[in-house]
Amino acid sequence: MVLIYFAGIDLGSTMTKVVIVDEDDQTKASVVYHTGAEHRRLANRVMEESLAKANLSIDDISFVMATGYGRINVPFADRQITELSCHARGVASFFPHVRLAIDIGGQDAKGLKTRDGKLLDFVMSDKCAAGTGRFLEVISAALGLKIEDLGDISLRSTQKVSVSSTCTVFAQQEVVNHLSEGVPLEDVIAGLHDAIAGRSARMVNRLKVEPDVVFTGGVAKNVGVVKALEENLGCPVLVPEEPLLSGAIGAALLGKEHVLKALARGETIQTGKRRLEEATFFK
Amino acid sequence: MAEPSKGLLRAQEIYQDRSQRALELREQGKKIMGYLCIYPVLEMMTALDIVPYRIFGDMREPITRADAYMPSVNCPFLRSCLDLGLKEKYDFLDGIVTSHICDVGSSLSGIWNYTVRTPFSHHIDTPHTLHETSLKQERGLLEDYRKALEDFTGHKMTTENLKKAIRVHNEQRALVRELYELKKPDPPLISGVETIRVIKAIQSIPVDEGNELLRDVISEVKERGDGPQTKSARLLLWGSILDDTALPEMIEGLDANVVMDDTCVGSRPYFNDVEVTGDVIDGLARHYLMDIKCPRTFRTRDYNDVRKDYMKDLEVRFSYLSDYARDWKTNGVILESVRYCDTHGYDVPGLRDYLDNLGIPSIYLEHDYTEGALAPLRTRVQGFLEIIS
Ligand SMILES: Nc1ncnc2c1ncn2[C@@H]1O[C@H](COP(=O)(O)OP(=O)(O)O)[C@@H](O)[C@H]1O
Ligand SMILES: [Mg+2]
Repeated sequence: MVLIYFAGIDLGSTMTKVVIVDEDDQTKASVVYHTGAEHRRLANRVMEESLAKANLSIDDISFVMATGYGRINVPFADRQITELSCHARGVASFFPHVRLAIDIGGQDAKGLKTRDGKLLDFVMSDKCAAGTGRFLEVISAALGLKIEDLGDISLRSTQKVSVSSTCTVFAQQEVVNHLSEGVPLEDVIAGLHDAIAGRSARMVNRLKVEPDVVFTGGVAKNVGVVKALEENLGCPVLVPEEPLLSGAIGAALLGKEHVLKALARGETIQTGKRRLEEATFFK
Repeated sequence: MAEPSKGLLRAQEIYQDRSQRALELREQGKKIMGYLCIYPVLEMMTALDIVPYRIFGDMREPITRADAYMPSVNCPFLRSCLDLGLKEKYDFLDGIVTSHICDVGSSLSGIWNYTVRTPFSHHIDTPHTLHETSLKQERGLLEDYRKALEDFTGHKMTTENLKKAIRVHNEQRALVRELYELKKPDPPLISGVETIRVIKAIQSIPVDEGNELLRDVISEVKERGDGPQTKSARLLLWGSILDDTALPEMIEGLDANVVMDDTCVGSRPYFNDVEVTGDVIDGLARHYLMDIKCPRTFRTRDYNDVRKDYMKDLEVRFSYLSDYARDWKTNGVILESVRYCDTHGYDVPGLRDYLDNLGIPSIYLEHDYTEGALAPLRTRVQGFLEIIS
């Protein structure tokens, strides 16, 4: 029997994620890279690396689905679909009873109302960096901290401060003021996490919060934000083992379902030209 | 000399270089009258052989000069109009007619007079409610407007000429409706992008020339074989001014056709005729105050009823949109508004409730009136299409 594989590439604003799954939905390989100014064009390298890891060539892949902010111009993708649908599908593969998914990535936050892996409705905030991963990146850089340490630091907090400003620039100023007044670092960071979680919680209110609630995207790797989100929503929040990958996994699975549907209708599968070249970004 | 272009090509030429025809006509001694939004009564201009020329902004041109006169939290469309005025792009106008479309639009007319100084100007303080007294008020305002135009041209506006003008403008309305009929089949015979080009073109040339253009476009799109393709979604687009094709281009670049709209560079000014009444001004006042359905006019049921029944009130305000959705067989509605347009923004929650109640999916987009800021909206629109298709 010929084994078949499906790839999902999530070319996000901050991270590029590739996942290859087999026909049993098992992950064969996954690679995560910074999208950064250079890397965003090098999506093909990330793809090549995941193919190498899985010991496959691009021609072994039945379908390549692209998603994320840069999905439009991936020269080796067969089709593109929004990260809204992909995250909804991806989180459902870990948590089948998910009703609300919250994705906080590098430059936006999204609330997804979903059932059986299907997207039903969504809300999105993409007007500025406030309340996104970028916000945490800016502040951790300013404080000389590593982004992956913020979560653990904040867990030591006993009395979080309130960060009133929703603007990244002003919030940074507020943080500096708090620290110069002698507020412990962990209390300030916990306050920042609370500000981010509060924003997202207010945003998803319109979708009516129902369990299971799943938190995904890079910011879900931060245990401090997870905790703050639970407090703000007043319910438990589930996090996938690797929250960065939900979009790419969802893309791969939607690619597979697309192929199966086409085959069931007796159609041939339309794949793209599959040029393993750099992706160009749209404005 | 090369054969002048016709139909869609002509519409596109005018869309890209709007003032070319107005400048020619001005050379021939015609008076060109700028007007802002759709409330200045065009029939009265036509009756005096004045060429109406709608004032638009330009979302591809950064606003640089208007900031000195209008705060940046004002409607960017109106700021852009002023900006173009300050950059002398409207210097060929003989006059400008404005109306109380909204507070910002109204103050713009004053600012324009102080800064751009178009030789003639007139402001119509159009009421915002539909009481009998409002109609009386509008009627009086139109009498004043008529006198102002008469003084400006030095000619009397005869009833006969006014009736004739109403007839040509009604003919234009009928032609636009005929064009929109061609958007009912699947695929539609004309795209949303092409529609905006045509409507913007007819708002830039004299009414009789606009009618000729519409007739040409109608026969062209009926015959051509390379019109729009069938897509998964047929959309109704509602909202504030869209005087650029960028947004519908983005939408139609995805798996959707915009087959119906309720916007003012679209169906909004054309879907009701002006009734030729015994006293002509009566019919004009009624049409411009009552029949044009723009959120700038507060539309309610009988005053004693309204506040008690939200759904009935919504029905009165928005039922024409569910008719559009049914007749043009749309499977989703995009509500769009330029940022800081309170007039449209305040209608959004009620309109969404109304559509939700009918089970018609909708999405609301707010944009900055800049071309570059459309990219993030693409994800929202595409996500919406993934839900409804
Ligand atoms: N190891 C980590 N620990 C904490 N936060 C992280 C980690 N890795 C990434 N992040 C956060 O995730 C964000 C990127 O999330 P991602 O979902 O990949 O965004 P996008 O899809 O927009 O590229 C970064 O801005 C950063 O704040
Ligand atoms: Mg993402």
